[in-house]
Amino acid sequence: MAAETDTGAIDDFGQVSRTVGTVFRYLLLAATMFGIVTLAVLLVYVANDAIRPLTADPGWHLTYLLALVLPTLLVGWAVRRRDPAALSFGALLVGTLVVSLMFSGGVALLAIDVVPPLVAFAFWIGLLVPTAAAVALTRYAHRISFTTRLVATTALFYLSLFGLPGPVGDAVGAPALVPGLVGLTQRLPVIPVDGVMVAAVVGGVSAVAVGSYVSNVRDGRAGLYAAVAAFLAANAAGYVGPLVSVDPVPAVVITAVALVPTGAYAWRGAFTEEGSPLGLVFTVTVVGGALLGAVAVDVLGFAGPQSWVDWGFLTSAHSGTAESAGLYPAIGGSILLMTTVAALSFPVGVGAAVYLEEYAPDNALTRFVDVNISNLAGVPSVVYGLLGLGVFVTYLGRSAGTVLVGGATLALLILPIVIISAREAIRSVPSDMRQASYGMGATRWQTVKNVVLPEAFPGILTGTILALGRAIGETAPLIMIGAPNVVFNLPTALGSKVSAMPLQVYAWSSLFASEDFYTKAVPAGVVVLLAVLLAMNSVAIVLRNKFERTQ
Amino acid sequence: MSQNSTSKQNRNEPTERDESADPTADGMNIQTDVSGSVDASSGGSWTRDTVVRAEHIDVWYDDDQALSDITMEIPEQSVTAMVGPSGCGKSTFLRCINRMNDLIDSARVEGDLYLRGKNVYDDDVDPVALRRRVGMVFQKPNPFPKSIYDNVTYGLKIQDKGGDYDEIVEESLKRAALWDEVKDQLDESGLELSGGQQQRLCIARAIAPDPEVLLMDEPASALDPVATSQIEDLIEELAEDYTVVIVTHNMQQAARISDQTAVFLTGGELVEFDDTQKIFENPESQRVEDYITGKFG
Repeated sequence: MAAETDTGAIDDFGQVSRTVGTVFRYLLLAATMFGIVTLAVLLVYVANDAIRPLTADPGWHLTYLLALVLPTLLVGWAVRRRDPAALSFGALLVGTLVVSLMFSGGVALLAIDVVPPLVAFAFWIGLLVPTAAAVALTRYAHRISFTTRLVATTALFYLSLFGLPGPVGDAVGAPALVPGLVGLTQRLPVIPVDGVMVAAVVGGVSAVAVGSYVSNVRDGRAGLYAAVAAFLAANAAGYVGPLVSVDPVPAVVITAVALVPTGAYAWRGAFTEEGSPLGLVFTVTVVGGALLGAVAVDVLGFAGPQSWVDWGFLTSAHSGTAESAGLYPAIGGSILLMTTVAALSFPVGVGAAVYLEEYAPDNALTRFVDVNISNLAGVPSVVYGLLGLGVFVTYLGRSAGTVLVGGATLALLILPIVIISAREAIRSVPSDMRQASYGMGATRWQTVKNVVLPEAFPGILTGTILALGRAIGETAPLIMIGAPNVVFNLPTALGSKVSAMPLQVYAWSSLFASEDFYTKAVPAGVVVLLAVLLAMNSVAIVLRNKFERTQ
Repeated sequence: MSQNSTSKQNRNEPTERDESADPTADGMNIQTDVSGSVDASSGGSWTRDTVVRAEHIDVWYDDDQALSDITMEIPEQSVTAMVGPSGCGKSTFLRCINRMNDLIDSARVEGDLYLRGKNVYDDDVDPVALRRRVGMVFQKPNPFPKSIYDNVTYGLKIQDKGGDYDEIVEESLKRAALWDEVKDQLDESGLELSGGQQQRLCIARAIAPDPEVLLMDEPASALDPVATSQIEDLIEELAEDYTVVIVTHNMQQAARISDQTAVFLTGGELVEFDDTQKIFENPESQRVEDYITGKFG
């Protein structure tokens, strides 16, 4: 207790007990650590089974320790002492390179085995021309009324994609009078080689993205130069690749999807006003160390770990023996399913979210929909599988187990999650901004288009990617809609049978259950699945961080 | 909500404000020639035309009455201040003028409010078209997360107005006394400015489409004294061209910048409305005198 002297001066304030608070605090810490440590142990256990680092020569470990691990730690420590921001930039750059290399693997898979380059090229031309026309129309003819513009744009796209009379005429059996741009391109007398066409499509998309990124950081002129440089780089890769024994198509894809964006990010982090080149030192150490290690173990003849996750596993199909079984068709199936799911659930989910947040009147029906969306998010996935089977296969008569049916079912599954997260993002746009827009005399549509959606977009994208992460791991709905356990080829159309990574892993652990598959193929499949999931989530995390910074 | 159904009319908004020449071209059918010479019930001798005339305005939020029987006239090219304690309905009245209360589901407005002789609560009035003639500046600076340039041109773009945007941006920012501070950073985000600069940016944004009336809802209450005095100077200058209606709970501010003052007291009642000088020196109502001298409120 406080002790006071005669003069009123205090010489001791006494103590207040914190025993319960301290106990509570450590209990909370224990609860947190229990979950994290349990998961970490599980992941390490699976990764160990799949990658088997202990099967490598001690010399292999020693080489990598000297070439990669020690330099990374030393340089990382030194860079951090000088400038912690530079270290985090350098680490992010390494992450960007790794994740974008994974994505370029997915794109290369699509370009080689799913979409013939000519078809992609034809659709690219068929979309590019009317898009350019629509942009020009909006920019230079803004006196034309919105409705006219909409009709003209729609007509342009229809003409370019289908020609006349197109699907409308097909329904009544009319002959094709005017071929669309897509058809025309595919019938060109001289067709460019695959590498050039892939470079046009993938390099074009990459150039647009990099160009707009650079023009945001610097200005429009720099953006234009960057876009041209990126496009030329993608095209050049098709000719340089074979010199280092990489086929033209993968070389183009790796350049356009991984190297060019990483380069743009490196430029921004190192050579603009707020950046510092110090971070690059760290990145070069890590990448250089990994390459040096690879060369060194090759020269010195040290055997690496006998990992089950190797190039053969990633590029071959299922097989009777666990050693030669691979995940390739399932990886491709998962990518196609995700593309379908994203294409179906994003517009519907975001549309529903915008309606519910911005337009819906506050009445009983809205509240009913509200409550039920939350409930639907909790419905077990097997029930969605049953729904997909009932609606798409039995009622609509699509064949079971195809990309379209699987994608639609998974899209239904994540739709409530997409809606809820998009609503959350839209709700977080300050109402001040809506008020400002309405106060200027904006209509609701103008406010949504100019203020709400741009501001909410990163949040919406983050939520959608996380929801896709849920869909990519789902097995039960795919089993319910009759997806085959084993597929030997990549699906090439929306109506092809499809398998997916989790389904393949499930098949290995149930249908082909044997000691061999349990210990070899299953852990390898799980590690690949988790790596893909992690790559997707890392994109979501980067987006979210960017979003929070701009707030 | 009603503005969905009517929003398609906005495209007919004329780019030139010359409604006497073409009164049917826009959704509001506002007539400029209606005289504002109706005698103000609370006295005072207006020499200028009346822009806004409220007659028996009542506002309810659900069952709570926020304004009761407000009748007043706001003359052209002057600063009209609305003062009163918190919750007295002064902001609500301000938002009646451009029908921002429509955006609140629970709000219900009764009575008539004329803007240049046209009742804005008539069925054929499109609130969106109305708001394009009435600019508004809010209590908290709320620039869009866009560049300064895009903030100022926002109103022009959504209203499909033509013209030399560069010139309008420069002109508006100059009138908002912000041009010298931002002329080299027009491409930077409006959110990077200080609070006072943001509020002046909001004022520039509001005057860029050249509205007839400028409503200000406690525009300086979130600002420091220096920024406040800049905003006050600005308001006095703006009153040379615009009709400014400002809500404030700062008595000195009202006394400094306004030509007329309306005193709202608890219960949503307009107790007195007169020349600012008279209100502050010789109010008719004892309650107003008590409020102004700080005896309550």
